[in-house]
Amino acid sequence: MTPLEVSGLQTFYGKSHILHDVGLTVKEGEIVVLLGRNGAGKTTTLRSIMGLTPPREGNVRLFGTDATRMSPYRVAGLGVGYVPEGRKIFANLSVEDNLRVPAVRPGPWNTTRVFETFPRLAERRDNRGRQLSGGEQEMLSIARALLLNPKLLLLDEPSQGLAPLIVKEVFQIIKTMRQEGISILLVEQNVRVSLAVADRAYVLDDGAIIYSGSAAELAGDEERVRSMAGASAKEWVTSDI
Amino acid sequence: MIQVILFNVTNGLIIGAFYVLMALGLSLILNLSNVINFSHGNFLALGGYLAFTLSPTLGYWGALLVAPLITALIGLAVERLMIRRVYNRDPVYSLLLTFGFAFVMQDAARFIWGPNGLPLGLPEFLSQPINPTLFFITWYRVFMVAVVIVAVLGLFAFLRYTRIGIRIRAGTLDLETVASLGVNISLLRTFNFALGCLLAGLSGVLAAGQIGLNPNMGDDLLMPSFIAIIVGGVGSLIGTLFGGLLIGVAAALTTVFFPAGSEAVIYAIMMIVLLVRPRGLMGEEGMMA
Repeated sequence: MTPLEVSGLQTFYGKSHILHDVGLTVKEGEIVVLLGRNGAGKTTTLRSIMGLTPPREGNVRLFGTDATRMSPYRVAGLGVGYVPEGRKIFANLSVEDNLRVPAVRPGPWNTTRVFETFPRLAERRDNRGRQLSGGEQEMLSIARALLLNPKLLLLDEPSQGLAPLIVKEVFQIIKTMRQEGISILLVEQNVRVSLAVADRAYVLDDGAIIYSGSAAELAGDEERVRSMAGASAKEWVTSDI
Repeated sequence: MIQVILFNVTNGLIIGAFYVLMALGLSLILNLSNVINFSHGNFLALGGYLAFTLSPTLGYWGALLVAPLITALIGLAVERLMIRRVYNRDPVYSLLLTFGFAFVMQDAARFIWGPNGLPLGLPEFLSQPINPTLFFITWYRVFMVAVVIVAVLGLFAFLRYTRIGIRIRAGTLDLETVASLGVNISLLRTFNFALGCLLAGLSGVLAAGQIGLNPNMGDDLLMPSFIAIIVGGVGSLIGTLFGGLLIGVAAALTTVFFPAGSEAVIYAIMMIVLLVRPRGLMGEEGMMA
């Protein structure tokens, strides 16, 4: 069963037309990256899939089920974990309480396993969300989504605002998730690192898909990568990932 | 003089305790659903009247337990049938809706139980003073405060330790993210509304034992409860708790030293808070938006 098939999405915020006929697929066991500049519509695509900003037209199929305009909690219930932009951890709750918010779905992930995977979170279990560093918040946001025992994970700019060493750690976790059999749709601005881990890539510009193909092929097109990555291109190291 | 002050402080704490129970319910609903429930005072009256109707069969203690639960169930139905339909609109809609419903509930109570005041019978020992020197403190007053303390501690424990309670607290901050983690927020809000009504119903039963029943008995408690929330800080239940006690005692002490200002004092406190510390004593920045 294909985890995610999106076709012909037209999504609006009020009167502004954000997504124009967006289509994409994530196959089982794949890491797919969705690239594009700020404001290209990457977050809106994820929000349309989650049902947080329902599309006006188009189709979202999750594991063969029509999930178009389904309410977010039901989308999550189909096995979709969502790590939102800016992490959105509950700043007023302790780490442990943050991990008790997600719905309980059967599967390999539970609090014990999460604390084994993210020892840093175990150390800080009694700290409030607002006391965590950016990297710890990102780990918590991922851990929280994993507790749903998802089969598909949507990650919105997990590397945003993190130090390169932490970025490396986060991408390492993403690769581990794939080995666990979780398919991944990754939204990133960090072009080089994400192309290094992804199987396939889509590029979104002004709300429309302008590239769809293998990640390796896109990574080989140095000029294109440089134009997408902009000034930040040289900051990112792709070796050892 | 000492006795007069003591009497009024005690009174203030008891009235404050009512404000707290009312305000905590209002606060729960406001924090999670952005609804200012103007009919909350009528849920209080409903709880009192239900206790009146139930106590001949269930006795006082049975009524004390069951009346708030029925109030909560009615609140649940009201939320499902009406209030949740306006969640996605501007808060003015829910405010007007509950404002209208307050009058419907009040007239319904008048129709069912009559326009005149009714007494709620209490077990004999509760009406006795504790001792002759402290003649103004009846066992009932002690009992009310004890029930309020148990209810408040129970509520805080519920919010702190249970999964639903944790989700309510998380939803206060970011309901959308709670939904995207697979939680049915529609049911969460319904439950939360009913929980608020449970507290109102309980305060109604307690108030009925002290001041008797009448169809608009909740009205005098509603505005001070809003003020308790604003003074304590929107979004903070602990703030609501202190806000309620503070204005209760402040109003009572003003009665001693400057009777003419006893009504105005709580509004003045609210004004000062709004001007000097707009987020309230313990509120989070930006919750009042």
